[in-house]
Parts: sequence; structure tokens; C-alpha cells
Amino acid sequence: MQEFRDKRVIQALLAELEKKTRALPSSIRIMEVCGTHTMTVHRYGLKKLLENIGVEMISGPGCPVCITPNEIHEAAIELVTKKKNFILTTFGDMTRVPSRKGSLQTAVPASGSVVKIVYSPEESLEQARSNPEKNVVFFGVGFETTIPTIALTVREAFFEGLTNFSILSALWLIPPPLKAIVEAKEIAIDGFLYPGHVSTIIGEKPYQFIAEDYGIPGAIAGFEPSDMLLGLSSILDQIHQGKAMVSNEYSRVVRPTGNPKALAVMEEMLETKDAYWRGLGLIPLSGLKLKKKYSNYDAESKFNLNIKGGSGDLPGCRCGEVLQGVISPPQCSLFAKKCNPNSPYGPCMVSFEGACFVHYKYNRGLK
Amino acid sequence: MCLGIPAKVVKIEESNFGKVDYLGTKVKTNLSLIEDVKIGDWVIVHAGFAISKLNEEEAKETLFMLRELASQQATENKKNNVEARRNNQKQRI
Repeated sequence: MQEFRDKRVIQALLAELEKKTRALPSSIRIMEVCGTHTMTVHRYGLKKLLENIGVEMISGPGCPVCITPNEIHEAAIELVTKKKNFILTTFGDMTRVPSRKGSLQTAVPASGSVVKIVYSPEESLEQARSNPEKNVVFFGVGFETTIPTIALTVREAFFEGLTNFSILSALWLIPPPLKAIVEAKEIAIDGFLYPGHVSTIIGEKPYQFIAEDYGIPGAIAGFEPSDMLLGLSSILDQIHQGKAMVSNEYSRVVRPTGNPKALAVMEEMLETKDAYWRGLGLIPLSGLKLKKKYSNYDAESKFNLNIKGGSGDLPGCRCGEVLQGVISPPQCSLFAKKCNPNSPYGPCMVSFEGACFVHYKYNRGLK
Repeated sequence: MCLGIPAKVVKIEESNFGKVDYLGTKVKTNLSLIEDVKIGDWVIVHAGFAISKLNEEEAKETLFMLRELASQQATENKKNNVEARRNNQKQRI
């Protein structure tokens, strides 16, 4: 693994990229779709190095904690503060996201209720088994990487006949927002660096329309610095050759057709729905929900939660524009002032891969 | 969120579970999303589940290419340095 971070390799790749950018008339702009890529770009100082050779990296919508809109966070808070004997389990980042009703961390649970942080969705099942008198709701958030793990967990509960378990779902698909961003035409994007681990599940084909319908080059890349640079190198080659495609530069992990077992369990348990994204608004068929057969495991219908989509962001927070790549974090007037990792005002400052958090952590003081 | 950690499978149990070794730490992992897993396989682990098997051939190929690139670059740098030194000497003369 160390070799993928080797200084000499990185320098060689950067030199190679420079040769390729030198021949271009102007600098190019690449969107790194995934939040984990955003981390790599900043953590290894690639942002500045790439800028110097004419490649501007902008962050995309690939942080599920960030793009989950307020109303779903508020529904989770509502559940645990109003209902007795509830165990709400979720991933750590989700508990810190501020909403108009505070965050799960600051909320005072009703009597007998509690918020528990889990590492794996399956831990929620253990909670449900050992607390039969309580309702366990897993606030499940994620993209295609995480969705199969959540679907499989519900499937286990279904076959085990666990009746006190359900999920509050915030499950998002990656290709639809990319289409929305391209169609919005607010920013010109010369290429997409596709998320490696989402691609592990879905394969190469779901991005094909970006190359075919919009003529935008792209590459699937892994998360080590040299993986990312290999991806960029392929995008530059495509620009030079004037042909757009989806190249796979993470072939040690991503198979062209994805992970068939994971796709099958998603297909079995879930169906698409139109969904609201923070900043991006309503995107057709961009979310997933449990199929009718499993509605007893869907917290939204089980507990009659009335989640009204599109209720808007927190006033002043520009997280939505950051997620579309329209502004970079320091352009928000709250950045590093009212909004910082110790007291985040918006979700992009909460998540470890939120663009604002990453910017704050690695770039303060840089000009 | 989509963080995936490469780890080595060290134990497989009947119930689709197993243990993986990540830098010496053994972690219980659900293996039911991947096919034909064997002890010694490298997998990518995400949220307690193995989501993909690492393809060793592909990994080796990528590493080979990276090494080649680095050594090519080193040769090029050397050449450039020699030329720069020559130019310097010429200027001094």
C-alpha cells in the first residue's frame, strides 16, 4: 500500500500530468465526486500541486451525510425526542449534523430512548435482539457502497422475524446527481473522477451516459494519491484524443460489472424514488426506499413520519452550493468563523469528508 | 463515508461471517456480499462488510506501471541535471 503513496511515484505522475496539461490551451476543471477523494486531494497536498500544473479540482456531492436534507435529520430527532423506548442507531457523523431542531447529539431523548452510534448496520440488529421491549430504528445513510450492507441487514431482520427493527432511510444513488449537475450548467466540468468504492458495487456502465450523452471524459479511481493521479492522467488523455469514455483506473478493486451479489440484494429489497438532496433539490429517481413487501421495516411508514421534502437549508449556510461545486468553502461567509469543526453550523463542516471540514483541516493559512 | 479498508481474510465461519486482519487487528466481518472467498484473500471492508475482493494480478500490474514511471522519470531527471550542469559550466567558461 505504501507504494501507492511513494513520493517518487507521485512526482513522476505529476510530471507526466504536466506534460499533458502543457499542451492544452487553458487549465481544466475536474470534479472529484467522492468525499473520500476530497480527503486524498487535500491530505496529500495535491490540490495546490495540481493547481500549479493547470488542473483545478472541485468537490462534488459525494458526502452522504452532507447531502441528506434537513427534514430527514429532523425526523430522526423527532423520533427519539418524542417517542418513548426508542433506540436510534446511526453512524457517528450523523449525530452531529445541525438542523433547525438541533442535532441528535444535543437532542434530549424521551424517557427510555437513546441514540447509539454504530460502526456497522448489523450492530442495530443486535440491539433489536437484546432489547425486545424497545423499538430500534437504524438511521441508515449512504450511497451505493453502503446501501447493500443496509439492505442485507433488513433482509436478515425480515427472515429472522424481528418486529422491533426498522430503518429510517437516507439512501442515495450517485449517477442521478451527476446528471443534474451537468444539466444545471452552473459550472463547466472537463472531467469526472468517479468514486472507487461506489463503482465497486455498480461497475462502469452507470456512468456511461456522461461520456456518451454529454461528451465528458471520466475515470474511476482509487483513494491513494497515485490512484487519483492515474485517474486524472486518463482523463487528460481522453481530452487530448477528443473522446470521452469511462476508464477504470482502480481495476484491482472494481470489476467492470460491479458486485453482482450486492446488486442482487439491492434489487430484491429496494426500489427507486424521486428524492430531495441538500443543495441540489428534487432529483428524479435518485433515492431508494424499501419495497412494499418490507414496509414494516420502513420507519417512515411504520411510525407515520410525515417527512416533507424540500424544506430548505439553514439560513446563511451555503453547503448546498459547495456540494454542487459552485463555490469553494472559503467563499461562504460563515466558513472558519461561525462555522468550524468544533461547532459546525452546516453539515459540510461535520463529516470527515465534508468539503468544508476538509478545507478547514488542511488548508487554513494557505493562500 | 465510502471509506473502504483493505484487509486480509484470516478466518471464515459457516454463517457468512469471518475475521479479517487489518494491520494486526482482527475484526469480525460479514463476508456474504462477496463470492468464493478464501483464507488469505485481500478484501475491501466497509461498515463491517467485505464489499470487494482485491485482484492481485491487477494490483501487481498497476504497481509495475507506477514503478516503471518512477524509474523513467528518475532517468529523465538525471539527464536534465547533467544538461543543466553542463550549461552551468559553459556559462562559467
